[in-house]
Amino acid sequence: MSDDDNILTETFRRVLGDVVTSERIRAFEDSPALAPIWPELAETGFLDALVGEEYGGAGLSLAQVFPLVLALGEHATPVPFAETMLARAWLAPHGISLPDDAAVVLAPRSAILPFAEVATHALVADRDMIRVVEVTSGSNDVFRAGGALTLNPGRELGAFAGTPGDLLLAAAALTSGQMVGAMARMLDMTLNYAGERQQFGRSLGKFQAIQQQLAVMAEQVISAQVAARTALRSTHFEPIRVAAAKCRANEAARLVCNIAHAVHGAIGATAEFDLQLFSRRVKQGQVAFGSERYWAVELGRARVTADCQTTADFLRLHLMDEDV
Amino acid sequence: MTINVDSFPPVRIPEEAEALRPQVKAFIAQQLMHMPPHRRARTWAGFDADFSRALAAQGWVGLTMPKEYGGAGLDAFSRFVLVEELLAAGAPVAAHWIGDRQSAPLLLHYGTEAQREFFLPRICRGELFFCIGMSEPNSGSDLASVRTRAEKVDGGWKVNGQKIWTTYAHKSHYMIALVRTSGTSEDRQAGLSQFLIDLSLPGVTVNPIKLGTGDTDFNEVFFEDVILPEDALVGTEGNGWAQVNAELAFERSGPERIYSSLVLLDLWSRSLKDDHDAGDLERLGLLVSRLAPLRNMSIAMTGLLVQGKSPVTEAALFKDMGTEVEQAIPADIADALGARLDRTPDPELMRTLAYLMQLNHVFSLRGGTREILRGMIARGLGLR
Ligand SMILES: Cc1cc2nc3c(=O)[nH]c(=O)nc-3n(C[C@H](O)[C@H](O)[C@H](O)COP(=O)(O)OP(=O)(O)OC[C@H]3O[C@@H](n4cnc5c(N)ncnc54)[C@H](O)[C@@H]3O)c2cc1C
Repeated sequence: MSDDDNILTETFRRVLGDVVTSERIRAFEDSPALAPIWPELAETGFLDALVGEEYGGAGLSLAQVFPLVLALGEHATPVPFAETMLARAWLAPHGISLPDDAAVVLAPRSAILPFAEVATHALVADRDMIRVVEVTSGSNDVFRAGGALTLNPGRELGAFAGTPGDLLLAAAALTSGQMVGAMARMLDMTLNYAGERQQFGRSLGKFQAIQQQLAVMAEQVISAQVAARTALRSTHFEPIRVAAAKCRANEAARLVCNIAHAVHGAIGATAEFDLQLFSRRVKQGQVAFGSERYWAVELGRARVTADCQTTADFLRLHLMDEDV
Repeated sequence: MTINVDSFPPVRIPEEAEALRPQVKAFIAQQLMHMPPHRRARTWAGFDADFSRALAAQGWVGLTMPKEYGGAGLDAFSRFVLVEELLAAGAPVAAHWIGDRQSAPLLLHYGTEAQREFFLPRICRGELFFCIGMSEPNSGSDLASVRTRAEKVDGGWKVNGQKIWTTYAHKSHYMIALVRTSGTSEDRQAGLSQFLIDLSLPGVTVNPIKLGTGDTDFNEVFFEDVILPEDALVGTEGNGWAQVNAELAFERSGPERIYSSLVLLDLWSRSLKDDHDAGDLERLGLLVSRLAPLRNMSIAMTGLLVQGKSPVTEAALFKDMGTEVEQAIPADIADALGARLDRTPDPELMRTLAYLMQLNHVFSLRGGTREILRGMIARGLGLR
């Protein structure tokens, strides 16, 4: 990462800190609506970060945008910002223009569609075309996080060549990034809480049993972050990298959510406390765009059919996390 | 400093280092042609002095040592490539493993010029093998409580005490031992020093300890009035604790903490080519998804070592997770094979599985236990 990229990320983090406050997330959850979060985020210009320079965008790479995707998760952002960034980049070369205020979700077949409750448009796939359609949500926001189980498609704005697989890979990769961002934030919150909360005359973090759990939590968060970084460091979404990242994020999520809530005790589950804003989104992410079983089978199949003598070769050829 | 994902900055293995890979693959293919998988599965627990010498003849032992001491003058990335290939193939590397991994770097860093000139070329030629003398019967995790003692005597040191669990002491030439040179166990980290102990000296007794598997990998080693020369001291008297800790980054950050069961994983994976169910693919995929970030973390730490850093907390985190996967591989494969009541599995696959099933419970012990590593991570998180 260059210094410029770091400045970019810090700027974006600051904006998110101001715009995506926990009061606003709670208001959103009580009655889902794009305003005020969406227009304030859209105003920053970051929506065109991935759009090629020749189409008037910033022309950043996926690797450069990866920290922004993490940051969205770290703030429990309830709107499809990363997904809209990607949609705008995909659409620009095809001359398909979206309304300025379009909030786009990626909608491959999936058990649940995060952000769909407030989406104005969706990318949907059939066979070899990806279509941009206006949508209204089919409701059923079962996690109270702005997701939906189905979408009602309306008018089509255009289409371009692409497969359902491409759409699923992109959706799973962006979801993994936001999940690990949220999990990193949960780790921070849990470490802070363990330092403050006292029982038996000591802060919780002084108890060895708690220390050991937090060590495991940190391991899970860091390795899921490395896996997501690997998936988002290439120029496009590669099936093996995305499979490993989503699988790892999902598996980590089990332990991370359980330990975070265990260390917080009862208060972590309350509406008033922020932790559950993150854990509900992480859990919604676990169900979305392929669970760990789905991606593990894909990854296992890739390993078995790969022309690699050893798994070390497979990791080196397909899952290398290089500085780009 | 708080440990987090930025503690593992992504790096690319340089091309000069990658250039070594095909040569190593070709060498191993030729050397191990007739070695069955269940023997390969021993990998860094497999002792074969001839193999180590053949490797040394290629210039591949002590790769990171400077040329003037007989090394190849290459960096830690080249060593990563070399050992990754050796481990993945299940090469029997135990004979030179400790000397190559930690004794030589220790002597290069803390040794006197005379020690470097004597030991490093001999390590690089595969002539001298080393073992680690840290644990004692009453000092396991609580290493600072060691009681083996070296007393200053005329012209040298006199050592009395006992080490235990010393891997391949019965086949090594030297032990680097952590012993007390002043104070008592209550003084903890202060007053500890490291010594080079020639295991052929009078007063040294090495008794092999048999494992449940029937193998004899480790030993108990007794010291009775063993007289060491003045220059057996490594580094500074009283600085033993800091020196041992510097070794730990080397000891815990390498790919041997994720690849101990790899020969089995690949044998099983090959058997799945024409005969698998979705459950098998799921297990395999999950294991690969856990290994992938860990390999990248090991490479990131290699980059830190190249920069002269000592990622001790990072290595603890990596090793704790890595040994969990190494332990899961035999257990998962056993579950997969045992579920197929309709099949008689390949005997060689079963031999390899049985060996690792009997050994995998020690993966989390050797090199420091989970509880100790997690304690270090907790400190890295600011909790202690
Ligand atoms: C295959 C193998 C090879 C080895 N090779 C070598 C070698 O070459 N050289 C060498 O010096 N040593 C070697 N060892 C020894 C190894 O380093 C020790 O086994 C290890 O440090 C643990 O010590 P211990 O076995 O005495 O267990 P103990 O320290 O007695 O620990 C037993 C259990 O108690 C836990 N425990 C201990 N203290 C605490 C605490 N404060 N809080 C919570 N839990 C705690 C431990 O985590 C462990 O689960 C080897 C071990 C094995 C298994």
